[in-house]
Amino acid sequence: MSLLRRLLRPRIVFLTAFLVALSLAAAKAALATFVSANCNYNAPTPSSNMYRDGSVTVALVARYEGYHWGGGCWNDNDVDEGPNEPLQTSSTGGEGGDCSGLTFKVWRESLNTGDGGHYQWGRLRNVHGPYTAADFKAGVGAPNATYPKASAIVMDAFASSTHIGMIYQPLTSGADQIVEAKCESCGTNIFTRTYRSDSSYGGVRRMGWTG
Amino acid sequence: VRAIRLICWCVCGLALGAAVGLGAVAAAGSVASGSGPPDRDAARIIDVGHLPPLLRAPGEAATLRFNVFCPAPGDEPCHAGGDVFVRAGVVGPFRTIPLRRTDDVADGRYDAVVPPEIAAAPEGFSYYAVLRNEATGVSVTVPSAGAAAPQLSLPLEHAVRVDLGAHRFGSTRHADARVVEAPWGSAPGRAGLQHGPTFGPIGPAAFGVAANGDVAVLDQVNARVERWHAGRHAADVPVGVTGGIADMALEADGAMDVLEPTGEGGTPELRSFSPSGALRSKTPIADRTWSQLREGPQGPEVQQEPSEQWLPATSRRRSLSRPAQASSGHPGRTLPKGRELVVYRAGISEARIAEVAGTHVLRAWRIVSATPLGEVQLAEPVGNRIVLVVRPYTDTEDEFLVLVLGDRGVERSFSVASADWAETAPLARFRLAGTSLYQLGSTPTGMHVDRFDLEVNR
Repeated sequence: MSLLRRLLRPRIVFLTAFLVALSLAAAKAALATFVSANCNYNAPTPSSNMYRDGSVTVALVARYEGYHWGGGCWNDNDVDEGPNEPLQTSSTGGEGGDCSGLTFKVWRESLNTGDGGHYQWGRLRNVHGPYTAADFKAGVGAPNATYPKASAIVMDAFASSTHIGMIYQPLTSGADQIVEAKCESCGTNIFTRTYRSDSSYGGVRRMGWTG
Repeated sequence: VRAIRLICWCVCGLALGAAVGLGAVAAAGSVASGSGPPDRDAARIIDVGHLPPLLRAPGEAATLRFNVFCPAPGDEPCHAGGDVFVRAGVVGPFRTIPLRRTDDVADGRYDAVVPPEIAAAPEGFSYYAVLRNEATGVSVTVPSAGAAAPQLSLPLEHAVRVDLGAHRFGSTRHADARVVEAPWGSAPGRAGLQHGPTFGPIGPAAFGVAANGDVAVLDQVNARVERWHAGRHAADVPVGVTGGIADMALEADGAMDVLEPTGEGGTPELRSFSPSGALRSKTPIADRTWSQLREGPQGPEVQQEPSEQWLPATSRRRSLSRPAQASSGHPGRTLPKGRELVVYRAGISEARIAEVAGTHVLRAWRIVSATPLGEVQLAEPVGNRIVLVVRPYTDTEDEFLVLVLGDRGVERSFSVASADWAETAPLARFRLAGTSLYQLGSTPTGMHVDRFDLEVNR
């Protein structure tokens, strides 16, 4: 009884509570990820219009913001705040989208695969979308369709079973500039690629552009 | 009363502990998130997409088209404006043509029609554009050096026309020799492979061939250049590369230039290494992106975007500043004796090639096909001929087509299998050394370099 009374002294109670809170807060803060600290789950904003060159700008905001497998949340400070993440894991909560997550957001798609409407997702909205690269390649979902590669233009995409990138600009060499979230060490950026002529890639078009 | 007092002490302790804990961790900078700099002003973003009509066929309209990318409310198209500055040939004052907005985003929402009297000039026309975000005033110039190195558009009046017809897939030529063969791996004599769930496979990104036929393979995954001699692995040279998909060129003395996809600044950089792998220099390139690296008579040259020009990266082995590179931009790859080789893959299924001196087209070819043509992987002179490697494709098939072009047309042609299981740098699958063409290929078991003898005289 006397031990209990001694432990319930105000100073001891305060100190114990202080230490417990200190260690819990420190542990939680140290374990925080980019996603847990910065990203949100807000509803998207439906929009009636969707322009190809307007969507390019959405991709340009994601440029330099890194790559995160299964991810879809980034800010706009041109720094990858989740660099050197282990491959094939989304639990590290790093910054950036992966290839299909970036495409989903830039193409303003819906989480409902039967909905072909246009939805603006904030850059800090953590959303990957329901499609893999292979899904896009196959034209899965109401907003997506396979498309002849030779006729693909800006903001159409080329997709393989493991990757998708969107056309930024055709080049005089016959290659294309592609905006894509390529890999952890590549980040999200504009690169010259030859996906158009590579038979492991197919053409994909987001349907419903305003212009 | 005592219990209430104890609860108060407890709550105060918890609150203070939590505050101190969070503050201490944040101050120590160990918070993984939110520790970066604040967001930049999105109004800074402006970029351009432009396909310069480097080589124009007779009767083609001279319309310059641009897409301008910048933020606008509701992610609408950029509210852009600007001017194109154009003149006949490469001397004299420029005429200003305001950009006009159109609905054609496929080829460029903004256009400028070159006046007929300028477009018809036999020496072609040169131009540059200054494009603005009208809402913020932020602007971009393309090519980046503006009037100091404008883009050039040349008429092709007397091009040799080559009609390939429909490409027949499946009739490929076997190599004359396999000069490199390495299974995937990291041990000596093997080649590194990157493969993830949403990318790859990515193998050695580029290679080079010395005049004596020795091959150097950029094994960026293992941070080394593998040297192969007479079909055998001879040595590994460690190099400090990023591991990204890079292009590579060999200098005559065995020095190696590696064009990285990223750099320490905001743009990619060229890293030059001695033959032993010692880093000699890092040179940030002028533009935001590159397509290919080649060794010119004066040193390495990089085809860069959005300028779509070839820019020298060094001068007498010294790095050039970004403005110095940009002010030396030109439309073709530099050849000896002041000539250039200009390549323009027009439309869906035509490749135009011209050897030029200044604004004078010395000779040219228009290669048309019933099958879509992809990228021109290689265009390079051998003696008085041009070797061209282009890629016919459909939605399900692709091959490389090798053409040896002479003054009267195609002197020799053959197809080679794509052998492109693993990704490389975009325009780094072929190299020419002497009268042999070399191809960097791969399969699920490993990488290889094949040699195809062209049977032509230099």
